[in-house]
Amino acid sequence: MSDDHEYYAGIDIGSAFIKAVLIHQKQIMAYEILSSGGNYNETARRVLDQVLSKGHLSLHKLSGIVVTGIGAESAPFQARQFSDISCQAAGCRSLFPSARIVIDIGGQFTRAIKLTPQGRVANFLMSEKCATGSGRFLQVIARILRIKIEDIGPLSLKSQRPVEFSTNCAVFAESETISRIAEGARTEDILAGVHRALAAKAAMLVKRLKMEEGVVLTGGGGEDAGLVSAVSEALGVDVLVPEQPRLTAALGAATLAKEQKPGTG
Amino acid sequence: MPFAGVDIGSTMTKAVIVDGHGTVVASVIGPTGAEHRHLALAVMDETIKKAGLSFEQLDFIVATGYGRINVPFADKQITEITCHSRSIRALFPTVRIIIDIGGQDSKGIKLDTEGKVMNFIMNDKCAAGTGRFLEVIAETLGIKLTEMGELSLKAKDFVRISNTCTVFAEHEVTTRLTEGATIPEIVAGLHEAFAGRVVNMVRSLGIEKDVVVTGGGAMNIGLIKAIEEKVGFPVLVPPEPLLTGALGAAFMGMDLLARGVTSQQDRRLEGVTFFK
Repeated sequence: MSDDHEYYAGIDIGSAFIKAVLIHQKQIMAYEILSSGGNYNETARRVLDQVLSKGHLSLHKLSGIVVTGIGAESAPFQARQFSDISCQAAGCRSLFPSARIVIDIGGQFTRAIKLTPQGRVANFLMSEKCATGSGRFLQVIARILRIKIEDIGPLSLKSQRPVEFSTNCAVFAESETISRIAEGARTEDILAGVHRALAAKAAMLVKRLKMEEGVVLTGGGGEDAGLVSAVSEALGVDVLVPEQPRLTAALGAATLAKEQKPGTG
Repeated sequence: MPFAGVDIGSTMTKAVIVDGHGTVVASVIGPTGAEHRHLALAVMDETIKKAGLSFEQLDFIVATGYGRINVPFADKQITEITCHSRSIRALFPTVRIIIDIGGQDSKGIKLDTEGKVMNFIMNDKCAAGTGRFLEVIAETLGIKLTEMGELSLKAKDFVRISNTCTVFAEHEVTTRLTEGATIPEIVAGLHEAFAGRVVNMVRSLGIEKDVVVTGGGAMNIGLIKAIEEKVGFPVLVPPEPLLTGALGAAFMGMDLLARGVTSQQDRRLEGVTFFK
């Protein structure tokens, strides 16, 4: 059977956002991102409904659904499950066949995944115990600076003299930021300092996996131009960024639904 | 013969004046701000007034705490490890382990049977396990830091807090609240997590009786109880846990003068006038 009538959905149930991607052949037909809210099940159902309605499809037309992410266990519909590492890797590989390192900077963690030349997951490392290793660090500092998340990147790029924090703790950095503001530090220099600290953590993970060219930066962090530039600088290479960095795991889930159908090995 | 000790902590500045017998004549506790120097002087001034003395009458002034370098009127700067050990040893001769829980750091100190410092360990890298952890979460819960101890004693059980990171724990706490946990249960859980972290750190020194807990954390009865659970026996708490650093500093001045070290009394005033 040709894949003309095959449609696949991937749903990434994250703690902050639930994302869904609908693919047909190799194209993304529709996608949706909703804030997770208190009830993952209900939101997951809504995300799937919306992505289907955007694609003018009904549920029974889908040839396969894969769910991933922290809430995958409790998906309210029939679906197969893949780990978020596998999905993230599959999503980035489908966008960038040359990808060998995937850095995923999310609200609660930073992950680095190493891929084999064939695109399989060779190894991965995570930093999830400490807010300084995650996008949360940026949120904490942006709140004090009264900067909107989307303004962080462009502002940070204007920095001439990034602040160097004396601490590796987001809570202590918060008070340090307040003293730096009192001393006259510029907002952009503080943000660029946070970007550098985050980039250094990511680079440390990548070094432990052994750096290779073909670095993709994904997750919410990929939407922050200041962070992208800091990671490039820390690794000494240009990094590839998907157009929709928050969707790569959902895209990977849809890709795996297509590639790894039950019974096809 | 009056001796003064001033302890510039990360959160509080403390000063103590003792007489020649080591009896406390006056003490003052004030907040530490960005301007250490002015505050150190203001707190010292107030203590001197309370004691009915003048700057020139002090035989020796020792500064300690993380801001000790910024005390221009002090005759000598001594680390808080030494100062805490000195005063706590005087208060509790049987002490072998001191746990000092400050606003932005926590320390463990091990003493030998003679009261000498054998080893110490410290965390000032991560807010977890320091007073800041409770301070941040108290704000999230809309309660006062000073009422957390009593509040936690009302809980029959505690809510396990799985995140070490203060920022993540803050989020975890709000989730637990929406799930129906009570504030006393959460606060008891915070104390349990906090105590676990501090006691684990100190364990590397080898815990031996007696254990003395000092610093602002020692004023929290819930935290003390949680620490006792973790070490497995009762701990001792000084009557004024915030003052042990400054008190030890004053005692050190006494010791130094007895050993013939001279104070810089004549140069002291210069420093004072300069920063006034």
